Amino acid sequence: MKMIIGGVYQGKTKFAVSEFGISEIKDGEKCNISEVFTTKCIKNYHILIRRLMDENIDPVEFTVRLCSENDDITVIMNEVGCGIIPIEKGERIWREMCGKCGCIIAENSCSVVRVICGIGTYIKGKNV
Amino acid sequence: MITLITGGSKCGKSSLAERIICGFSGKKFYIATMKPYGDEAFQAIERHREMRKGKGFKTIGKYNNLSEITLPEKCVVLLECMGNLCANEMFVDGRIINPTEKIIRDIKYLDSIAEHLVIVTNEVGNDGISYEKGTEEYIACMGKINRKIAEAAENVIECVYGIPFVLKGELCY
Repeated sequence: MKMIIGGVYQGKTKFAVSEFGISEIKDGEKCNISEVFTTKCIKNYHILIRRLMDENIDPVEFTVRLCSENDDITVIMNEVGCGIIPIEKGERIWREMCGKCGCIIAENSCSVVRVICGIGTYIKGKNV
Repeated sequence: MITLITGGSKCGKSSLAERIICGFSGKKFYIATMKPYGDEAFQAIERHREMRKGKGFKTIGKYNNLSEITLPEKCVVLLECMGNLCANEMFVDGRIINPTEKIIRDIKYLDSIAEHLVIVTNEVGNDGISYEKGTEEYIACMGKINRKIAEAAENVIECVYGIPFVLKGELCY
């Protein structure tokens, strides 16, 4: 399992393609939720977390299951935890869920890359 | 040669940029892109002016169209900052103009004259908040501009609470 994180518009998906040679990427914003368990790569995992919450699926349980059933996956997700804690409760819970799920994915990943300005830095492991 | 310095707000990017540029020989120019509107802008400008005092910078206040600036060959230039320049080029008379290509062209122009060009930019896309259309477009443009400059730059440094973290190239001062 690998993980690519970073702010918006930093070039995370492009990095996944060039660094890991990934050709098919599912989009967490619109893919079928069950596809996550078989795909080689998913982007916008932070948006998938919101969709899971909308569907009353526990994102933490879902992520734990993902880590055990599809440990070959590369997960791309935005860093969303900086800045002011949102006033709206739903937004707050979503951010917390992103944080918790992100930690689980990072823990289970052999490599974690943070992308800034299109430049990837391995903050865990390396390209294997 | 371009050195790009990025990071969050008030994380020591300016003083790092000045340290880097003061290590170079050549006439020093400071391109200030912040329009002096309002108390906070005045305070920020005054603070930066104080920081640069006695370091031999010639300050040029230029808020857009950087290719109109005339500079001598082999000078060293500190451009601060991309966040203001992007907003100035983007939001004009109530309209939104995508400034990416123009800004990159202007940066290449400055780089072609200056011996060293140090650019201070901002990270604006890490708070997970969805904004209204204009702001979202601004965040997207900042991401694209930063990526394009980083690609052309020799050195890219992220500043974290004053600590320089090398993303590309090296830190020289």
